[in-house]
Amino acid sequence: MSKVEPANPLELLAYNISLQIENGQIVYVGTGLPMVGALLAAKTHAPNITMVFESGGQDPLEGGMPWSVGCPFTFRKSPMVQEMAPSFGQCTLGYVDIAFQGGAQIDMYGNVNTSVIGSYENLKAILPGSGGGNDIGSLTEKSVLVGLQTPERFPEKVDFITTPGYLDGGDSREKAGLIGGPSAVVTQCGIFDFEPASKRMRIKGLNPGMTVEITQACTGFELLLPEGEVPIIPAPSDEVLEILRRDVDPRRVFTKMPGT
Amino acid sequence: MGDQYITEEQMQRLVDFKGAREYHLNKRRDKVDKRMSLSEAIAEYVQDGDILAETGFSYVRAPLQAYFEIIRQKKKNLVGIGSPMSNCSYFMALGIMKAIHLSYIGVEMRGNDKNFARVIKTKQAKIASIWSHGSMALGFKAAQLGAPFIASKQLLASDILKQNPYVEVIDSPVGKDKDPVCLIPALFPDVCIIHVQKADRYGNAVIDGPAINDIALAAACRRVILTAERIVPEMAIREDTSASIPFWYVDAVVDLPYGALPGCCPGHYYWAREWWEWLVRCVTPREENIDPFFNYWVYTTKDQYDFIEKLGGIRFMDHARQLMEAAEANIDDSNVSFAYQEVIPKWD
Repeated sequence: MSKVEPANPLELLAYNISLQIENGQIVYVGTGLPMVGALLAAKTHAPNITMVFESGGQDPLEGGMPWSVGCPFTFRKSPMVQEMAPSFGQCTLGYVDIAFQGGAQIDMYGNVNTSVIGSYENLKAILPGSGGGNDIGSLTEKSVLVGLQTPERFPEKVDFITTPGYLDGGDSREKAGLIGGPSAVVTQCGIFDFEPASKRMRIKGLNPGMTVEITQACTGFELLLPEGEVPIIPAPSDEVLEILRRDVDPRRVFTKMPGT
Repeated sequence: MGDQYITEEQMQRLVDFKGAREYHLNKRRDKVDKRMSLSEAIAEYVQDGDILAETGFSYVRAPLQAYFEIIRQKKKNLVGIGSPMSNCSYFMALGIMKAIHLSYIGVEMRGNDKNFARVIKTKQAKIASIWSHGSMALGFKAAQLGAPFIASKQLLASDILKQNPYVEVIDSPVGKDKDPVCLIPALFPDVCIIHVQKADRYGNAVIDGPAINDIALAAACRRVILTAERIVPEMAIREDTSASIPFWYVDAVVDLPYGALPGCCPGHYYWAREWWEWLVRCVTPREENIDPFFNYWVYTTKDQYDFIEKLGGIRFMDHARQLMEAAEANIDDSNVSFAYQEVIPKWD
């Protein structure tokens, strides 16, 4: 029996985020779990990635977990920092390979809402707003959406499109003049992609212990299935979990389950 | 478009290129000592009804002590803008600001700022237009470049466009693709306060670490106040050719060490992290907590030195300096711990 405690759902999420990153990529990193996933990737299978932050920090020397995207850890001995406008401009220019975004709502075409639940005329809840979400999601070659999957958070249609995904599916994103697009969705259930023609969300692989039925029950729309058997994503190795717990998020700021 | 929150004139002033140019044409040109006290600078250069642009990154090199002076002087009818702009939340809760051009209000993973939701829901303040960080940054950048607008790829096909009367979508008239672009107009707020690490008495200013939108905002705004960690001899800046803001943009220079507290200032001090968590987790969730909090930290706090005493005096300050130097890898950080007691209220 392994002495390392198995991954909790947030650790699995961070691990699955890290799997989206390939060695050598330039990665646009936001706050929270994407930061954990990117740091984990850098300390495991992708040691030669370069991180870029919307505060203008980029290519920092390895250091601790940033408290904010404006934290000095995001520009620790950086060769240079950017102003905000040219920082996002790097996404448009094709210098950024992958970016991450969380959202209060993510729909079947990968549209993201971080603005308002209900509508501005009929408010249920107000969220912080786009921040850099719309920018990285509109401009980056591949964006990965990160969320906790429930039927409310994964509705058929978001209440407000803060960051466009594939809009109404098909070629609607391209027709709108947008660049790049969502390449994956990572949740506590597993990893999803978008079926190439319809651009509808599709199960790519599920976490150990997850089933299609449970995953569908966590979703407010019908998920597409891959051809053949649904792959199970191998659980993170003991070594990866130890790196995550010892070197990436030692204070368990982002990977501790609430109430534990 | 105008209403009790924001007038039609205030809406138009944000994109009034000719008005901003006219204002700049009439600013003083001579290179004079512009040093004054914080209260004088805020009294003279922040006026009721101004469009106030937030600078820094909400709580990184942001002129927070100057914002507290704005609160103490009880300014009225301000319009907020900035990318990001999280301090506008308490300006709205305190009744100083009635309308905002929203990009983002929050403290990232520390939690949603419930002030913001409450003031909008209870109609104490209004969202006059909605943006993303990058599109608003392009608006400020267009102003700095002297361009009437910048065509962008962000915002296309989003619902943000439905809540933004300034941005227009057109098919690009140039190039062979003729694909859709957003026209982001140059944005001209009335005033910004920029906290810098170094300035000379005339207003040449040096920013260490990320400048965010501040170089653009210094050019765009009609009035610019600097608060500075250090006032240095002009020759020190000339020797390094390190200034990113020229003196003629600047109206007032305030010698204000610790002026970014309780935020962090690269090269000087790390955040008072607990203060921010206390604000968003304990204070803003309940309206009745707002006044006592600001009474303690702002109204009954004379200046930044009083503020530091309340944070813990020299022990707090030296720890904040040590954390910043460790984060920036300027000291041996092997024995420096970033652990702290997170503020987690019982009702969460």
